[in-house]
Amino acid sequence: MIYVLYVIVFVICVYTGRHYFFTLNRLFAFQRHPYIDIDTADWPPVTVLVAAHNEEKVIANILDALMTVKYPADKMLVIPVNDRSTDRTREIIDKFVEKFPGRIQPFHRAGGKGGKAAALKDAMELVSTEVILIFDADYIPGAGLIKQLAAPFFDLEVGGVMGRVVPLNAGTNLLTRLLDLERSGGYQVDQQARMNLRLVPQHGGTVAGVRLSALREIGGWNENSLTEDTDLTYRLLLNGWKTVYQNRSECYEEVPEVWPVRIKQIMRWAKGHNQAMMTYGPRLLLGKHRATLRERLDGTLLLGVYAMAPITLVGWTLALGVFYQGVAPLHGVIALLSLTAYAALGNLAAFFEIAAAARLDGTRKRVSLLPFLILGFGVSIFSVSRAAVSQISDLVTGAEFHWDKTERFRKVL
Amino acid sequence: MNPDLAVAALVCMVSLMFMLPLVPALVELRRKSDAQPLNVVQQHAGEIRFFANSFRDYIKGLEPTMQRCVADGTTATGTLRDGEEYVVLGRADAPLLLALQQRDAIHPVVLAAGVDLIVPPSATFSRDIYAGRQFVGGDKNNYRAILGEKNVHLGASSRVMRWVHAVGEFTAGLGCRLFGRISSDLLIRLHANCSFLRLNAPRIEIGRAPVDPDATTPNSSLPSDAVSAAVPRFLHDGDFEVRHGQIIRSNIVIRGKLVVRSGARICGSVKGDKDVVIENEVSVEGSLICARKMRIGPQCAIHGPVIAERELSIASGTRCGTVEHPTTVSAPRIDVAEGVVVFGTLWARERGQVVANP
Repeated sequence: MIYVLYVIVFVICVYTGRHYFFTLNRLFAFQRHPYIDIDTADWPPVTVLVAAHNEEKVIANILDALMTVKYPADKMLVIPVNDRSTDRTREIIDKFVEKFPGRIQPFHRAGGKGGKAAALKDAMELVSTEVILIFDADYIPGAGLIKQLAAPFFDLEVGGVMGRVVPLNAGTNLLTRLLDLERSGGYQVDQQARMNLRLVPQHGGTVAGVRLSALREIGGWNENSLTEDTDLTYRLLLNGWKTVYQNRSECYEEVPEVWPVRIKQIMRWAKGHNQAMMTYGPRLLLGKHRATLRERLDGTLLLGVYAMAPITLVGWTLALGVFYQGVAPLHGVIALLSLTAYAALGNLAAFFEIAAAARLDGTRKRVSLLPFLILGFGVSIFSVSRAAVSQISDLVTGAEFHWDKTERFRKVL
Repeated sequence: MNPDLAVAALVCMVSLMFMLPLVPALVELRRKSDAQPLNVVQQHAGEIRFFANSFRDYIKGLEPTMQRCVADGTTATGTLRDGEEYVVLGRADAPLLLALQQRDAIHPVVLAAGVDLIVPPSATFSRDIYAGRQFVGGDKNNYRAILGEKNVHLGASSRVMRWVHAVGEFTAGLGCRLFGRISSDLLIRLHANCSFLRLNAPRIEIGRAPVDPDATTPNSSLPSDAVSAAVPRFLHDGDFEVRHGQIIRSNIVIRGKLVVRSGARICGSVKGDKDVVIENEVSVEGSLICARKMRIGPQCAIHGPVIAERELSIASGTRCGTVEHPTTVSAPRIDVAEGVVVFGTLWARERGQVVANP
């Protein structure tokens, strides 16, 4: 038992070190934004896919925004991917098609497999441009965003692009404020540090782009994946393509406003991420492919982030067990060190990252909400662990993954 | 002391200490003083002319005054809608400008001129200048910002702190230091030893650039789209060299050092993960991107965007983009020799420098 605990503490220390390293890199090192200055170019034709499943509350906002972006109109086609919606989504899309003839080509999907990846896969029959940009329906792109997301594709090594997500409903309640802080840490520090260090920035599947030839080379969208974005990141990496992160390509999104929706969302992410870990983890770390050593290591750690929740819970249980057994490993020295590293650093590293992100964003007062993140941390650790347990039981029983759409909170226009 | 009371006091104290870090959090949660979404620019795309256009709107109200002053050959003063003071010039003789320059040191004002403006040397203007006609600045002047409806010429060793936009041509004399955004709707010409950050114009000439008859036509029959999948991708791990005069009909991605020897032609785009050296008379028909330092030799022609993540040097006679297909040349530090022509944007994040030819 004690040796398992040693391993768990070691793994937690690795993730702790990673958090601190990323934060210090983001604060003090050279920041990579290589493509953001491309403001004049022979812009490539792009297709913008808007994934929409029962999105009557938000679909008009994104279509409105896309019709006013500063990108040559004759080089941009918007395809709203209406995936089996039963609300007014289709009606709203069709009104926009009438209003902007030739600029929006709807893809109405009445049946087929559920999930975003499956819907995108079917919509690919309408796509002919080399650059594909993807948005979820609750996003509101700004005027310059399409150019910013298209620019990295001038680099022939780039297969995927990811922009930054900013919650629009940040001030609604405690949950949205905590999610706002988490997003800040995840994008402003974590993603940008990975970009700086040439590691593995993660494709988020929205405010994002993918190169058509790269997508074809890796076999298209994986409809069996619960998180098509993570799946895409790793298949691109294994096939010699890079995913790049553009911190200044910011886009508003809507975050969940109630805890049950947040819990469902994070459970789906956890399951999808763990699925990718099982599928690509061993090959990424040990297989023969074009990823560099640092990409292999970082990619593996990134794949393991959602596995850390159940591992931490097991660690807590074991630590209690060891304590009540009266075991003092290595005369207590290691235990003391482990306890210090685990309790002091392990739990605070992510908070340090978020605080640094708040500072970089120039916000001052919201950082004082940091202690409440313990609440978010607690909910996440149990939800993600529950997802892992349910995933294992699904494997045993052979049950299929179920796609849960994230509920929207915006008022209907 | 009563033991029960002591225990209760201890519990209270510990609870208070535990709650202490939550006090600012609770206050912020209640007050919502920093609960707005982060500011994401929605309405514009960071256009270089943004400040110039905003300034033009800002002083639109001065147009009748300016016309009257020009007709009468007089000057007028007043206050703009935000309380900023202005001087409108209907004439611009030397004594008047000298007086304005002396006044600027004590009480800076926005300057709007409806006539040609010829500014004496060694002057400082701490507020924005609107020039309805030609603007000619003397040597060693300091400017905050200039909007010129015709040509703008800055004398040697002048400095611009924020931006200049010229509807006509913009010229900077020897050794000017241009700290902000410089744009023109026609042409930007920088002379030797100028430093710059962000330039945009249909044609940017560094020093005395040769007249280029090919500059209006794309250099190949390939699709002008630099991200096109019509050209296959060649990916190579390690260093790579393109031989003298070799023609490569693919996009190339090199995960090592790349050297393209003189006279080579690449019918596609190029990416180098380490240093890239492009020798003389090389033609690249797509983009040219380098993850470290890049040196582009003389007389090269690059069609698509040119990006170096660390440093970029461009030698004399090289042309980036075309009139029909303007492009972006960008790096944190750029050294660009006299005789280079860029069609579109030349953007040095940290330092751009015009290097005089020997």
